[in-house]
Amino acid sequence: MSLFLPKLKCKKDIDEVIKSVAEKVVVLRFGRDEDSVCLQLDEILSKTAHDLSNMASIYIVDVDKAPIYTRYFDISYIPSTVFFFNGQHMKVDYGSPDHTKFVGSFKTKQDFIDLIEVIYRGAMRGKMIVQSPIDPQNIPKYDLLYHGI
Amino acid sequence: MGAYYCSICRQTTFNGKGHIFGKNHQSRLRVVLLKFLEKVKEARRTLKKPQVEKFDCTQHKQTFWCYCCALEIERNVTDGNMTVLYGGLLEHMATQEHRKNTHTFWWENKADPKFRDKVIITKEETEKFKTEVANVLESFVEKEDEYIKQEADHIRAQEKNRQEVIQSLLERDAEPELFKGPNGTDPCAEDSVSSQFMAQGSGQQNGGSFVDSVVEVPRTATGQGLTFIGYQDSSSSGNVHTGAVPPWLQDDPLEGTSGGAVHPEIGPSLQDFLKQKEQEKLRKLPPNRVGANFDHSSHTDANWLPSFGRVWNSGRRWQSRHQFRQEEGQKNRQKRKREHSTEVTKKTKT
Repeated sequence: MSLFLPKLKCKKDIDEVIKSVAEKVVVLRFGRDEDSVCLQLDEILSKTAHDLSNMASIYIVDVDKAPIYTRYFDISYIPSTVFFFNGQHMKVDYGSPDHTKFVGSFKTKQDFIDLIEVIYRGAMRGKMIVQSPIDPQNIPKYDLLYHGI
Repeated sequence: MGAYYCSICRQTTFNGKGHIFGKNHQSRLRVVLLKFLEKVKEARRTLKKPQVEKFDCTQHKQTFWCYCCALEIERNVTDGNMTVLYGGLLEHMATQEHRKNTHTFWWENKADPKFRDKVIITKEETEKFKTEVANVLESFVEKEDEYIKQEADHIRAQEKNRQEVIQSLLERDAEPELFKGPNGTDPCAEDSVSSQFMAQGSGQQNGGSFVDSVVEVPRTATGQGLTFIGYQDSSSSGNVHTGAVPPWLQDDPLEGTSGGAVHPEIGPSLQDFLKQKEQEKLRKLPPNRVGANFDHSSHTDANWLPSFGRVWNSGRRWQSRHQFRQEEGQKNRQKRKREHSTEVTKKTKT
């Protein structure tokens, strides 16, 4: 599944992607290829990648390869998906404690498609934070712990 | 009790005379009479003062419907050049048949007898009207004649003016011609030309060439009235009759010194064109979208970080980046300290 999605190996690649993709949502999946939840998520991503190709570009990042971003984006659970548009980070309110990334996998492909569409529309209208269209029941639950503790 | 068609209500009734007294019929009748009487009133106004106007084919051929006689009558009387307004109407209303028909109409429909007389015009009235009309016609014709005479005078004056102008110009030019004649290189030719000129001038009417002859000294060709500009020798380069290449398809002798140069291309190059297309697409996007002014091709160094609002921060995003860099800095210092201390311990050990 993750064979079909482009992989980014280092910070430089990630920087390139974030800077170069224009007028489309950049989807960065942080995780490990062998992890089971990551596999599920990767399947959804690869199956929808073609249909969303005009709105979004999807990339896979291994958390061990770019530790600086793992720390910068505060990734404590995998998989985590971060969204960018024109070099700007897009925040989404899922009803979960962390708005800066999507933690876990999506329940259905349609959820992911809806989310991308909402992010795209919000970005086109100048909004840097949007409301997630996904049913809160389908959002994976996790506990966010402050790292100071 | 047969079928009875009432032309005012435009209905067939089987009640016979009963229909006439009904509400419907009477109200319709009143409306019809009102309309009719309006027209007659207009006509009556002109009884005492007949109006005569120049015939205007768009307006003066109107007809009207006389309810009493069930006929369409011409409203005005005209003979092609002039019309007497409402003449036809008044004439019709004076006839005997119309009187009879009016009476029957009133009786049949049980209309108000007060209005009946208004619709008829008596003989005396018609006599008066006819005399008045004759007078007015005469005066009208006189006025028309006056007008035409004035116009004719005006035109004649203009003609005279023009003639005078021509004469003055001819006289002025004829004199220097005579002087030049004996001094020129070709005196006999000049003479003949000038004499021709004079002949022209004396017998001249509004010829089209007199302007030319005034502006420049011509040498008139046998085609009288045309300016001769010389014999065109095109035996070297050919002309349209021999089928030569037209001047606009020949190469411009002023165009570039290098002989083998490619024609300069016009329009943008392919690169520019593609760039322009991209720009067009961008322009269609909303201008207030996120990152609209983000420069995609700017070079950033290795420690560039994208703008990211971190998880436990509140406040502006660049602050979180700043904070991150600070934390990284601290971590590096701590690491170096630890390394340093281990090195020291190692050194002391060995």
